[in-house]
Amino acid sequence: MNTLQFLMDGFSIAFQWQNILFAFVGVLIGTAVGVLPGIGPMSGVALLIPVTATLTAGLPTEAAAASSIILLAGVYYGAMYGGSTTSILLNTPGESSSVVTTLDGYQMAKQGRAGSALSIAAIGSFAAGIISLIGLVLLAEPLSNVALQFGPAEYFSLMLLGLAAVSGLAGKSMTKALMMTVFGLMLGTIGIDAVSGIARFTYDIPVLYSGLEFLTIAVGLFALGEVFKTVLERDHEDGTMAKIGRILPTRQDLKESAAPILRGSFLGFFIGVLPGAGATLASFFSYIGEKKFSKNPEQFGKGAIAGVAGPESANNAASGGAMIPLLTLGIPGSGTTAILMGALIMYNIQPGPLLFDDHPEVAWGLIASMFVGNLMLLILNMPLVKVFAKIIQTPKKYLLPIIIAISFFGVYAVQYTTFDLYLLLACGVLGYLLTKNDFPVAPLVLALVLGPMIENNMRRALTISNGEFSIFVTNPISLVLLLIAAAWLLIPLLLKLKGRSVVLNEEG
Amino acid sequence: MLKKLISVSLAGVLAVGLAACSSEESTNASGDANYPERGMTIVAPSGAGGGWDLTARSIAKTMNATKLIEEPITVENKPGGGGAVYMAEYATKEVDNDYMMLVKSPPILINNNKAEGNSPYGYKDTTPLAQLTRDYGAIVVKADSKFQTLTDVLDAIKKDATGVTLAGGSAPGSMDHLVGILPAFEYGIDPKSVKYVSYDGGGEAVAALLGGNADVIATDASTIAEYVKSGDVRVLAVSSPERLEGELSEVPTFMEEGIDAEFTIWRGIFGPKNMTDGAKEYWSTKLEEMSNSDEWKKELEKNGWQSEYKNSEDFETYLKTQEEVIVELLTALNMQK
Repeated sequence: MNTLQFLMDGFSIAFQWQNILFAFVGVLIGTAVGVLPGIGPMSGVALLIPVTATLTAGLPTEAAAASSIILLAGVYYGAMYGGSTTSILLNTPGESSSVVTTLDGYQMAKQGRAGSALSIAAIGSFAAGIISLIGLVLLAEPLSNVALQFGPAEYFSLMLLGLAAVSGLAGKSMTKALMMTVFGLMLGTIGIDAVSGIARFTYDIPVLYSGLEFLTIAVGLFALGEVFKTVLERDHEDGTMAKIGRILPTRQDLKESAAPILRGSFLGFFIGVLPGAGATLASFFSYIGEKKFSKNPEQFGKGAIAGVAGPESANNAASGGAMIPLLTLGIPGSGTTAILMGALIMYNIQPGPLLFDDHPEVAWGLIASMFVGNLMLLILNMPLVKVFAKIIQTPKKYLLPIIIAISFFGVYAVQYTTFDLYLLLACGVLGYLLTKNDFPVAPLVLALVLGPMIENNMRRALTISNGEFSIFVTNPISLVLLLIAAAWLLIPLLLKLKGRSVVLNEEG
Repeated sequence: MLKKLISVSLAGVLAVGLAACSSEESTNASGDANYPERGMTIVAPSGAGGGWDLTARSIAKTMNATKLIEEPITVENKPGGGGAVYMAEYATKEVDNDYMMLVKSPPILINNNKAEGNSPYGYKDTTPLAQLTRDYGAIVVKADSKFQTLTDVLDAIKKDATGVTLAGGSAPGSMDHLVGILPAFEYGIDPKSVKYVSYDGGGEAVAALLGGNADVIATDASTIAEYVKSGDVRVLAVSSPERLEGELSEVPTFMEEGIDAEFTIWRGIFGPKNMTDGAKEYWSTKLEEMSNSDEWKKELEKNGWQSEYKNSEDFETYLKTQEEVIVELLTALNMQK
C-alpha cells in the first residue's frame, strides 16, 4: 500500500497550518475569479504567481513549492466552482467551461429555482472534485499511458462524436441546428491555420489572425442576445418573476441530479486527462449525454436540473483529470495547467515522469490539499448561494445594464481589443435574431470549439498515414468512437423507420 | 503576517488594475523616468513547456528573484502558426506598448522569409533588446525505437519516406521542421518528401513520440533532458558544433554523424518597435545586469542552456547576418519567399 502511505504523507503536509491557510486563500480567490467574468482561471493563476513567490519566500524550496502550488491549484478548481454563478443568474458565462450551464441554469433561475441550481452546481462540483481526486490517486499512472495512446486519429474521432451529438442541442428543428453547426464550423476556420501556418479569411486584418475568441461569441449570443430580447420585446414578466423558493435543492432535485453528477464526474475526469480536450468539451459532452439519457429530454432547455448538475460536475472533474498529464508527464492539458507547470518550474521542480520520485512531498501534498480545498469550497459556497440568489430579484431596469456592463468588461479583460467589443455587440444582435427565429445558438458555439480541433487532428492523422483514411478505422480506440458516433446518428432513425415512437426532433 | 495580508490584497488590486489599465497601454508612457509604473508581461508565442516559454519564465523569475525588477513580470503564452500569429499582433496592436516584451528565436527571421505562412513582420518590426542564450536542435526517438543512430533514421527515410513520421512543436517551414529536415537535406533526401506533423508546442510533440504517434521528433536539446533522465527517450544527435555538457554529453553532433550541418537556436528578448528610449534603456541595463548575476547562471545551468549575451546593438547586427544565413538555407530548401 505504497500509494496510501504517500497519500498519508501528503495529508500531513496539507494539514500544516500554513498550507491549510494557503488552500483556503486559494479557493477563496478562485471562487471570486470564477464569479467575476473576465478574470478567468488562467489569468487569475498567472496574476498570483508573483504573490505566492513573495509569500513563500522564507520557506525551504520544496516546502515553498508545495505551499504555492497548493494555493494556485486552489484558485484553479475554485474558479470551476464559481464559474456557474453568472451563467445561472445572468445568462452570462464567465468561463468557456460554463457556457453550457446557461442553457438550463438560467431557465431555472427564471422559474425561481436559482437557489436549487446554484446549490446543485456546488454539490455536483464537490462530488466531482472528490471523485476525480480518487481517480487521480488510483489511476494516475495507467491513465497517463492511455492519454499518450490518444493520437491525432483518436482525437479526430472523439471530436467527431462530439459533433454527431450536436443533435442533443437542437431545439425544435434539426435542420436549423445543423445549419448553426455548419455556421460555427465556418467561423472556426478564421485565422492563421496551425497546421500549415497559412492565413485564412483574415483579409490581412491582424486582429483576425488568432481567430475569433470563443468567449466573446458565447457571451454575445447568450447574454447580450437575452438583453436585446428583453428590451425589444418589452418582456414584462418582471412583475411575475418567480420568487426564490428555497435555497437548498428539493429531495426531487437531488434524486434527479445524483446520476448526472456521477456520470458528469466520470466523463469529465476522463476527458480532462486527455491533453487539449479540456473542461469546455467535458461540459458539452455531459449536457448532451444527459439529454440523451433523460426520460424527459423535452425538459432540457426549459430548466432541467440535470442540465446543470451534469455539466457543472464535468467541468470540475476535468480540472482534476487535467492534473494527471501535468504531474506524471509534464504535459499541460490546458492553458491553466500550463501556468501551474510554469509555477512549479519556478521552484526548480520539473513536472514530468520523475516528479513523484524526486519530489513526492510536492506531488502528494498537492493532491491531499485538493481534498481539503474541495471540502472548504463546499462549505464556502453553500452560504453564498443565498447571497447570490438574491441578484435575480433585482428589477430588470437595474439588472440589464449590469449584465451589459459585465459582458463588456469581461470580454475586454480577456481580449484587450475594441474589435472584440464590436464582435460582442454583433453577436448580441445575431443571438437575438437567431433565438427569435428558433435557430439554436448552442450548436454554433460547440462547433466553434470543435471545428479547429477536428480539422487539425484530421490533417495530422492523414499526414501520419500518408493520406490513407483507413487510419481512422484501423485504430481500435478511434474505430470505437466512430461507431458510437454512427450509432448516435443512426439508431433513432432506424427506430423511427420501424415505426417505433421515439423522441426525435420534429421539424418546427 | 500583516505583510502577507497586504500582498494578498495587492493581488486583488493588481487583478482589477490590469484589466483597467489596458486602455492606457496603447498610449506611450510620457514620463520615462517613471518607467516601469506597473507590472510587465513577457510573451512566449507558443504553448507552455517549450524553449520560448522556459526562457520567458526564467527571465521573469530571475528579474524578480534578484529584485532587479521589483514590479511583477507575468509570462503569457500566445501559441499559433509557429509564432506568426502573435508576431502580427505584436507588430501592430502592441507596437507602442512599453510593457509588453517578446521572447523570440530564429523563427522571427524564418517566418519573415519563407514563402508559405509568411509573417509580414520580422525583427525590423521590433526593438531587439538582448540575446541571452543559445541552444541546439535535437533529433529524438523513443527509448525502445529501432533507430540507434541518426544515420539509421536517414537511411530509413531515404528508402521509404512515407514510413517515417517526423514531428515537431511548430508549423512546417519553422524551426523544429528545419532542424528535423536539415540532416535529411544534407544526406541527399528531398526535404519535401519528409513526412512532418506539427503539434502545438514541444510538449505535445513529446507526447506524440511517447504515445507512438511519431517515430522521430525534432526539438530543443534543453527541453528534452528530463525525459532522457527518466529513460523514456533517446537523443540520436544534436545540432551543435561540439558535444554538449550535462545530460546529453554522450550524444554525438550532426558533424560526428557525418552530416555537414549545424544549427544554433539563439534566444533573445525584444521590445515593441516604438519602444520609448527610457524603456529601452531600462531593459538594456537590467538585462545586462541580469546576465551577469549568479541567479541567471544557475538558471542557465539548470536548463542546460549555453550563455551568450549580446546587447541591443550587437544583437541587431547579429540578426542582420543571421537573416542572410537563413534566407540562404530556405533558398536551398526551395522554401524561400
